[in-house]
Amino acid sequence: MASQVFSRRAALTLGGGIVAGLAAPYFRRVRAAEVLHVNTWGGIWERAAIKNLFEPFTKDTGVEIRPVSPVSFAKLAQQVRSGAYEFDVTTLGAGEIIRANQANLVEKLDNTDLVKNPPFAGAAFQNGASSHAFATVIAYQKSKYPNGGPQSWADFWDLQKFPGSRCMQRYASRILPIALAADGVPADKLYPLDLNRAFRSLDKIKPAVRVWWTQGQQSQQLLRDGEIDCIALWHARTLELIDQNQPVEIVWNQAEIERAYWVVARGTPNRDNALRFIESALKPERVAGFCKDSLNGPLNPAAFNFVSEAEAARMPTAPAYKDKVFEQDILNFGGDVNAATQRFERWIGT
Amino acid sequence: MSATTAAAGGGSLRPWLLLAPLLVFLAAFFLVPLAQVAVMSVSDPEWGLEHYVAIATDGFHLRVLLDTFITALTVSLCCLVLGFPLAYAMAAAPQGLAAAMMVVVTMSFWTSFLVRTYAWMVLLGNRGPIARFVEWMGFASPELLFTRFSSTVAMTHILLPYMVLSLYGVLKRIEPALPRSAASLGATPAGVIRHVVLPLAAPGIANGLTLVFVLCLGFYVTPILIGSPREQMVAGVIGQQVEEFLAFGEASAMAMLLLASTLVILGLYHRRFGLDRLWG
Repeated sequence: MASQVFSRRAALTLGGGIVAGLAAPYFRRVRAAEVLHVNTWGGIWERAAIKNLFEPFTKDTGVEIRPVSPVSFAKLAQQVRSGAYEFDVTTLGAGEIIRANQANLVEKLDNTDLVKNPPFAGAAFQNGASSHAFATVIAYQKSKYPNGGPQSWADFWDLQKFPGSRCMQRYASRILPIALAADGVPADKLYPLDLNRAFRSLDKIKPAVRVWWTQGQQSQQLLRDGEIDCIALWHARTLELIDQNQPVEIVWNQAEIERAYWVVARGTPNRDNALRFIESALKPERVAGFCKDSLNGPLNPAAFNFVSEAEAARMPTAPAYKDKVFEQDILNFGGDVNAATQRFERWIGT
Repeated sequence: MSATTAAAGGGSLRPWLLLAPLLVFLAAFFLVPLAQVAVMSVSDPEWGLEHYVAIATDGFHLRVLLDTFITALTVSLCCLVLGFPLAYAMAAAPQGLAAAMMVVVTMSFWTSFLVRTYAWMVLLGNRGPIARFVEWMGFASPELLFTRFSSTVAMTHILLPYMVLSLYGVLKRIEPALPRSAASLGATPAGVIRHVVLPLAAPGIANGLTLVFVLCLGFYVTPILIGSPREQMVAGVIGQQVEEFLAFGEASAMAMLLLASTLVILGLYHRRFGLDRLWG
């Protein structure tokens, strides 16, 4: 009997030990003070960030930066709920940063130089540091349109003039403004969005959209495999294909620009170093290098002093494209973004 | 007899001790999170049954649920139609050949389903062998990808081994003398299958259908990657609710509903055949 009591206790100890051991990775985040975890998109993005942003910061401050991927907005929310931080700093798009502020997920920037003494106009937005931008552009198979493909969103919608299959991202806040531009709304009148008109415009192209892409990799694959003729995708993904000598053309006209912002996860124990990092990441030379290597466009105008003309031609924020492109304006969206997204998802499914 | 009973009685704690690590593991990493999901479904953002009411009343969720069930049913039936002849041939084949067939079936079973999904993208694509062949025959190449057809083909392929293995189990156990005596008594080959083999294989058929159906209910990557945009699976909508809308409550309610429908199906199976036989 004694041996049984003992073995029961032993089993409990053993069981408890196993649970603690298995759970350890989740609780191990008692961290050295001088390490910062930065959420990255992996791939060339991460390599560009390490070389141009992380290493110079470590050199200046002695703070080590460890990249963490993948990027997940849900994880940012979960971190603040649970208090267990996997990353201290991440990047968000405009739509996400507004949602993050509504849900109180990011640290306030009120007392930082970004707000008090901004290095350029618009350096801070909704408690985020304006870093870089990417664009949704038109790309097409050269072989399908040897005399030139669609040059505007109206052309993209014109199935008579440019027959062939279409593909767009499954992402309402990005596609709805494009649908309005295709319907003839001028760039400065897009916002607030007329959602009903946007959906009527989308109805016209829906039958030609064989697939709505969800992953950047997938959008590239569809183009490379010749599965679709005409696609709305990110400029960086298109440039990559062109650099690989794929017979693909990129159209900069009416490129839809979206900004990305560095933010600090609210409540992180590394708040001070995190704030120092996002300030340093806007320095013109650093963001120029980062954007060159990661195929983005810098938001700090001074960055173009460190960029050649040929390199600037690959950046959606280049001064040369200023009059051709349009920007997202989520603050002036014209309704609840979530509700519009729900409507969009249901529209796709019917 | 009495000695065995005594031994089992005296050591009645021992099986539990052996099970303890597993039970603790399941409790900590399965039951607790599951309970959290259940609580979230009625408490996020506030307490109440609003998510369940919304799911039951707005047409969208019910349609997605119905779509998911139809897809799962189609895939299960396709697996049965394709799997039965294969399992029958395996059960009847000489040992060496049967073993070789088994290796082929299990090899596809062990290949990652993502790899198999991408393989179908290549096969069914515009520049894939099927499109090339159709073009070579002089027809316009059909658009095979991004349709219900492509996702059904891929899911059937991915889940087929479950069907074949459960059918093989029962078909192998059928006494070979039974079909033979039926034939010698004048039954046609089709008659033998219909009146002798099928009734004896019924538990395996139900078994395979249940396994494939339940596994298919939770699928979503394959339909998203190669299915029609109009086709939505419950699991995909749940993922979207979490990732895109941070709507943990609504997603939890849908997850509970999916869990409940799975349990209902397993319950029906249990009443008819006994759950302990599900894995053969």
